[in-house]
Amino acid sequence: MAGKIQSLTEEERNHLLPLLRNAQWVEVVGRDAIYKEFIFKDFNQAFGFMSRVALQAEKMDHHPEWFNVYNKVQITLSTHDCGGLSQRDITLATFIDQASLM
Amino acid sequence: RSGGERAGAAKVKPSRLTALQEQLIWALLESGLSRDILVQAIGELERDRVSAGAERGERGDGESSEEGEMDFPPPIFRELEKLLPEEAAKLRAEVDQLLQEDPWHVAKIVKSYMQQHNLPQREVVESTGLNQSHLSQHLNKGTPMKNTKRASLYTWYVKKQGEISQQFTNAKHGLGSAEEQGEETRKGRRNRFKWGPASLQILFHAYERQKNPSKEEREGLVEDCNRAECHQRGVSSSQLAGLGSNLVTEVRVYNWFANRRKEEAFRHKLALDTPYTSQSASSSHPNLPPSPEHGVKYSHQIMCDTVSSARGSIGDRVGHLVVSPIQLEPSHTLLETHNSKLVSSGGPLPPVSTLTSLHSLSASPASSQGLIMASLPSVMSLGESSLLIGLASTQPQTVPVINNVGGSFTTLQPISFQQQLHGSPQQPISHHFQSYMGASPFMATMAQLPCHMYNKLDSPQYHTSSLLSQAMVITDSSSLGTLTSLTAVKQILTADPEEQTDSPLQEDSLHLQPHTPVPASESLEMYPTSQTTESHQSHLLSPSQTDISSYIPTQMVSTAQ
Repeated sequence: MAGKIQSLTEEERNHLLPLLRNAQWVEVVGRDAIYKEFIFKDFNQAFGFMSRVALQAEKMDHHPEWFNVYNKVQITLSTHDCGGLSQRDITLATFIDQASLM
Repeated sequence: RSGGERAGAAKVKPSRLTALQEQLIWALLESGLSRDILVQAIGELERDRVSAGAERGERGDGESSEEGEMDFPPPIFRELEKLLPEEAAKLRAEVDQLLQEDPWHVAKIVKSYMQQHNLPQREVVESTGLNQSHLSQHLNKGTPMKNTKRASLYTWYVKKQGEISQQFTNAKHGLGSAEEQGEETRKGRRNRFKWGPASLQILFHAYERQKNPSKEEREGLVEDCNRAECHQRGVSSSQLAGLGSNLVTEVRVYNWFANRRKEEAFRHKLALDTPYTSQSASSSHPNLPPSPEHGVKYSHQIMCDTVSSARGSIGDRVGHLVVSPIQLEPSHTLLETHNSKLVSSGGPLPPVSTLTSLHSLSASPASSQGLIMASLPSVMSLGESSLLIGLASTQPQTVPVINNVGGSFTTLQPISFQQQLHGSPQQPISHHFQSYMGASPFMATMAQLPCHMYNKLDSPQYHTSSLLSQAMVITDSSSLGTLTSLTAVKQILTADPEEQTDSPLQEDSLHLQPHTPVPASESLEMYPTSQTTESHQSHLLSPSQTDISSYIPTQMVSTAQ
């Protein structure tokens, strides 16, 4: 891991969070994190999605907190190292959205 | 529908993937994995998984391809499941095709492939679970084999072809994955190295020139041998990885020379032990007193006495009769021509691999002069390709060998020769020694014999009590017509040799009319020389025969004098 990951600056938040909110990401109450729920046709789709995300997460070395029941996947993104949102969360969120559309 | 099926399962889906599998495959592909890397990785992972499973003690049902257990389905099929479904299907198709063909025809194909690549039967047995004896009989003699078993055999064959061709292709790119494909991951040990006929030819030629080559010379031989082995397998030289466990190395060459030198020394030593008497005055060969058995230990209880006598030598070719009780190691062929400077320089130990050394009929130094000693039972059993001419008797009787070399009447001890005196070196089965052997004038003589006795010598055969005193007759074609009596050799020998045509014959002796080129004998069988070397079998008598009379050479030749 390269040096300590930086939390998002005020400016970046102001710029990026609206976009995420548009994409149905919501800010978690009580912590600096974003959350989204995905619903798929069936388990296979859901797990396929999760696999794609997992592979990407590994690549980025940044992992989501998530829960899965059958066709539903709930994801919370936050960066442990800085105790809040970082650029990685934004990048992963973007990827997750793309993956959910495949 | 829940959770169960995952990618990487040992089970192979014959056709479609499940939806999840599709998803997962897609996920993998989208993650940046290329198709090829994915395929390769699957192979590697599966191999790792299998060996890991074995280590965890799953051996009983895991690495069954190594177990040699014949369970249904045969272990070899488990290996199929490790392959990609696509490749497994291709394999099965090929196997099915082979199953449709004539079994004997396919057996010949498989056998020749094994010979070409010098593959041990053991490997086949271990990965197919077939019985080795059955396998050997099926491949060599066409003994029937059930289809299920043939299927495992063919499966191994097709797989092996793939492995080996992969080994060769990988050789081009440097070793890399060749290692994994070798027997390492399967067994944890490679097949035992075995000299191929082509290499042996090269080595024996070199041995003739120089018994103790320097390191440079050895390295040269390494290259020559590997090149020859590659050619034999139909690949370009220097795709060495494909030779696998049969790759020739400098160490192996070194050991080979060391073993041959030891062997030769041992032969000298044994030669000294062999009592020798000779009546010949013309021979420069010293007379060795007949000696009782020496304390040489042999596994056979076979002794032979040979009556020795010799005619005066006519010209420069003289043979000598040797009388001695000889007990020799069954696997050691003793055939040597000793000059009067017979020296025993043998070390105390017998040579390492007497089985593989076709002794040299080193009659080349002397034009057939000297003591020719042979061990009866100890004809070289070189697997299937040994040609043995040997006689043995269980009683200490006279077992004369009548040699009519160069027109003189002599008797020699039974001699074992390597086979294929005429064969072409290109034959895959051909004896590596044959060209080596051809150098000696004596052997050259032998080579003209139209008739040979061949015997696939296994020691037990000589234990038969049906062995009578016999004589081996070795003649050259120029002196056909001699009438000789086998059992009456004693009489013949003591009598004037010129009378031999009239010497009384005992019942079981060969009775020949003078000038008859082909003897007709009640007690002997003729075995026409089989010149073909396509199959070693053609040279061999049925090993199961215990009637020694069938081993009696049939060529009786008159003395020219």
